[in-house]
Amino acid sequence: MKSLKPIFTLFLALSLTFALNHKWGNIPPLAKFLDPFQGFWKNAESSNTSPELNLNLEGLQGEVSVQFDNQRIPHIFASNNHDLYFVQGFVTARDRLWQMDFQTRFASGRLSEVIGPKALDIDRFQRRMGMTFGAENMMKTMMADPEIAAMMNAYAEGINAYIQTLKPGDYPIEFKILDYEPENWTPLNSALLLKMMSATLASGSDEFYMSNILKKYGAEVMKDLFPDYPYREEPIIPVGTAWNFKPIPSPNAPANANVGTNASIRTKQKEEGIGSNNWAVSGKKTMSGYPILANDPHLDLTLPAIWYQIQLINQEQNVYGVSIPGAPGVIIGFNQKVAWGVTNVGSDVLDWYQIQFKDQSHQSYWYDNKWQATKKRVETIQVRGAKAITDTVYYTHHGPVVYLEDQKPGNFAKAKNIPEGYALRWIAHEGSNDVRTFYLLNKANNYDDYRKALTYYSAPAQNFLFATVDNDIAITPNGYFPLKWKGQGKFLLDGSNPANEWQGRIPADQNPTVKNPARGFVSSANQFSADPTYPYYLHWEFSGYERGKRINDRLSKMSQITVDSMRNLQNDNYSIFAQNVLSVFVSGVNTAKLNNEERKAFNVVSKWNKFYDAKEIGASIFEIWQKLLSKQIWEDEFGDANTPMRYPSRDRTVQLILAEPQSKWFDNIKTPQKEGLNDLLLSSYKLSIDSLTKKYGPMNDKWQWGHVKHSNVPHLAKIAGFGSKTLFNGGSKTSVNALSESNGPSWRMIVALGKEPKAYGVFPGGQSGNPGSFYYDDMLDTWAEGRLNELLYLRSKDQSSERIISTWKITKK
Amino acid sequence: MLFILILFISLIAQFFLPWWVITPIAFALAAWNGQSEKKSFWNGFSAIFILWACMSLFRSLPNENLLANRVAQMLMLPDSDLNWLILVLITGVLGGLVAGTAALAGASFKKGFFRRSR
Repeated sequence: MKSLKPIFTLFLALSLTFALNHKWGNIPPLAKFLDPFQGFWKNAESSNTSPELNLNLEGLQGEVSVQFDNQRIPHIFASNNHDLYFVQGFVTARDRLWQMDFQTRFASGRLSEVIGPKALDIDRFQRRMGMTFGAENMMKTMMADPEIAAMMNAYAEGINAYIQTLKPGDYPIEFKILDYEPENWTPLNSALLLKMMSATLASGSDEFYMSNILKKYGAEVMKDLFPDYPYREEPIIPVGTAWNFKPIPSPNAPANANVGTNASIRTKQKEEGIGSNNWAVSGKKTMSGYPILANDPHLDLTLPAIWYQIQLINQEQNVYGVSIPGAPGVIIGFNQKVAWGVTNVGSDVLDWYQIQFKDQSHQSYWYDNKWQATKKRVETIQVRGAKAITDTVYYTHHGPVVYLEDQKPGNFAKAKNIPEGYALRWIAHEGSNDVRTFYLLNKANNYDDYRKALTYYSAPAQNFLFATVDNDIAITPNGYFPLKWKGQGKFLLDGSNPANEWQGRIPADQNPTVKNPARGFVSSANQFSADPTYPYYLHWEFSGYERGKRINDRLSKMSQITVDSMRNLQNDNYSIFAQNVLSVFVSGVNTAKLNNEERKAFNVVSKWNKFYDAKEIGASIFEIWQKLLSKQIWEDEFGDANTPMRYPSRDRTVQLILAEPQSKWFDNIKTPQKEGLNDLLLSSYKLSIDSLTKKYGPMNDKWQWGHVKHSNVPHLAKIAGFGSKTLFNGGSKTSVNALSESNGPSWRMIVALGKEPKAYGVFPGGQSGNPGSFYYDDMLDTWAEGRLNELLYLRSKDQSSERIISTWKITKK
Repeated sequence: MLFILILFISLIAQFFLPWWVITPIAFALAAWNGQSEKKSFWNGFSAIFILWACMSLFRSLPNENLLANRVAQMLMLPDSDLNWLILVLITGVLGGLVAGTAALAGASFKKGFFRRSR
C-alpha cells in the first residue's frame, strides 16, 4: 500500500502540468501563458529601444538601411525593388504578424483551424462567398505581370525571413492566447487581404429588399420613394463638367428582367459609415501657391491599427504613406512630386441571379434555353479539436451559389443579406492587378502617370484624388464598372436570361473624371460620382450628400489655405442634415403638450448650433429624435417581418419632411386616427427624451454627445483589455468628422506639395501591433484630439534627424 | 539546498526549454535530495514562486506594467491600480504549485522506493 502515494503524487504533478499546458475553451494554457520566460510577459516591451542593430538575412540582394523614427515608422533605404519590398515585408511582420495572420485566416475561412467549431459559420460563409476563388483569380493576373510578381514574392520572402527568426517565446501575444503558431506567408495571402477590401467596401446589397418593395407597392411607389437620383446632391464631378468622349451604347433593359422573391430570404441593409472624405485644393487657393491634398478613409476602427505607415526609398522612388499590413507598396501617400488619396465609390458591382437547377444533384442549371453544367468546388475546413468538415459549393458562370435552398444558417448575421438559391456575380471574383495601380502611383511624377496607373485598377472602386507639384489637381471615380442598363441590379435578377448579365465594362478612360475645375478644388465623400448627364449607369443610390456639401461649402469660401485650415475641416462636426431639418423639427412640435423636463430639453435642442461636438447635449437629442422619427414614418409600411424591406433613404425622408408635409406616408396605418408630420414630431421627440432619461437620468452632463456616442477602438479579435479606453469625442455620420461609435477616420493625412513636400498624418493606434508596446496606441490621443503629426520625409539615409531613434543595417547572409 | 538547486537549474533550463521542465527538475531534485514531503513541497513552491515572480517583474517593470495591466483586464481581474502586481503573484503561485507538487512527488518517491535501497 505504501507505494500508492508516490504514484498518486506523481500523477497529480503530471496532471497539473498537463492541464496548465492545455487550452480549455477560451482560456489560454495558463502556465504556458503566464510563464515569464516564454509566455506573455516576454511580450512586454521595454521603453528603451536599442539605437543600432545589425541583421544578416538570407534572400537579400544588397544592403538595406532602415531608420525608425520616434513613432517607430520605418524609413527603408534599399538599392533595388526586390530588397525594398523584402524589407517592407520583414518590418511589417515584425510589427503586425498576428494581425496579418488572423485577417488572412478570416478572409479565407480558416479560423476554425485555430479557434474551433464556433468559427464554422463564418468560415463557411467566407468560402461560399468565394473569397479564395477571387484571390486565386487575382493571383493568376498578378503572377502574369513579371514586375508585380517579383514585388509580391519579395514581400512574402521578407515576411518569411522574419518568421524564421522567431522562437515560440517571441510570437505575438495573441498567438499565445489562442495557442497556435504563425505559418509561412504566400502571395495568395496578400491577394486575400486585397480582396477583403472589396468585401468590406463593395459587398453591400439591397436587391432583396428592393424586390420585396416592388412586389408589395408596385412601380409607382418604387419610383417615388426610391428614385434613381437624389433630391439633393452635389456629385463628385461638378455639375456642368463636359464628358469628352464618345460613349459606347449601354444595353437595353429586357422585359421581365427581375424575378419574384421568396420571402424566407433576408437582407442586411447597407451600413452607412463605411465612407471617407478627400479633397485637394489648387495652388490658386493656397498660401504657398502649391496644391494641398487631404484624405481620411473611414473604416471600422480596430487595434492593431488598420494601416501601417512606411517610407520606401530606392533609385526609382521615394514614397511615404500608409500600407495595408500584408500588401506591398503604399496605398495612400505622397512622393516628391505628387500626392494621392482614395475614398470609396458605392457603385453596384454585386448582383444576385436566380438559378434554376435541373434537379437536386445541382449539376446543371437553366441558362440561355439550355442546361449548363455547374462546377463543384469542395471546401475542406480543418477544425481545431474536431473532425474536418467538407462543404460543397456549386459555381455557375455567374459565380458561386452562396446558399442553396434551406442551406443558410438560421441566426448568422452575416448571411442575412444572402438570398437562397441565387448565384453571386461580384467584381471581387475577377482576376485583377490592382497592385500595379499603387506600384505606379508610388513612383508617379505627373498627371499622365496618374491616368496610366488608374487603368489597372479594378476593385473596390475608389475616388482616386490626385495633386501634383505642377499644380494639377484631379479626381476620378475609378474601377471596373460593369456596363449596365439603367437600374440593372436594383432588384434580384433572373439568371437564365443572357440579357440580364453584365455587358462588358465602361471603358476605363470613360470613367468619370475631372482635372483642374474652375472652382479650384476637387473633393469626394462617397456621394454620386456624377450627375445624370453622365452617359452610363453606376448605381441608383450612393451615400448621402451631406459631408460632400459641407466640404464644398467650406472650400468654396476659403482662400489662402494652409495645412491648418485643412486640418480644421477634417475635424468639422457640423451637420448639413441638421441644417436641413432642425428648424422644421423644432417649429413642428406643439410645446404646449410638453412637460417640464421635456420643455427644458426642447430649449437645448432648439438652440443647438448643429455641431456634433462632444459636449453638445442638443446633438444627442437630435440624433435620437431623427432616428425615432424616421422609424415612426416608415416602420408601419416597410417594417413587415414576413416580407423584409428597407426604409427609403435619408435624402427621400428629408424631401418628404420639407417638400411634402401633407404626404400620406406620415400616417401610421396601424392606428384608426390619421397622423400628420407634426404628430410624429411630437411623439418621437417625447420618446427620445424618455429614452435619454431612462438611460442617464434627468438632463445632465451624461447627456453630452461624447458620452452618448461612446466612441472607442476595439481590438481586432475583441480581446478585452486590448482595445482603447472610451473616448469623449465629437463627430457623426453626417459630419465631415465622421466618427461614430467605432467607425470613423482610420487615417487622416494632409500633404502640402511644394519644392519639398510637407505632410501630416495620424491614425487611431500605433505602428506596433503588440499590446505590450508603447507604440501600440501612441498616436491615439493625438488622433482623438484632432491633431496631426508631422510626417518625417527623409531624402537620403545620411540625412540626420533628431526623430530617428533606431537604425538597422541589414546585409545579405 | 533543494530550494536553491530547483531555482538555479530551472532558471538556466527555462531559457532554452518550455516552462514544463520545472516539473521534471523539481521532481528529480527532490527524489535525489529531498527531505520530508512537506518540506520538499515548500522548497519547490518557493523556488519557482520566487523565480517566476522575479522574472515577471524583470520583464514588466521596464514595460511600466503596460501589458500586465491589459492582460489583467483580459483575465477579468477586478479593476485596480495594482492589477499588475496581482498578476505577478498569480504567476508565481501557479508556477510554485506545479513545482511544489512535483517536488512533493519526488520526495514521496524517495521515501517509498529509493530509501530502502540505499
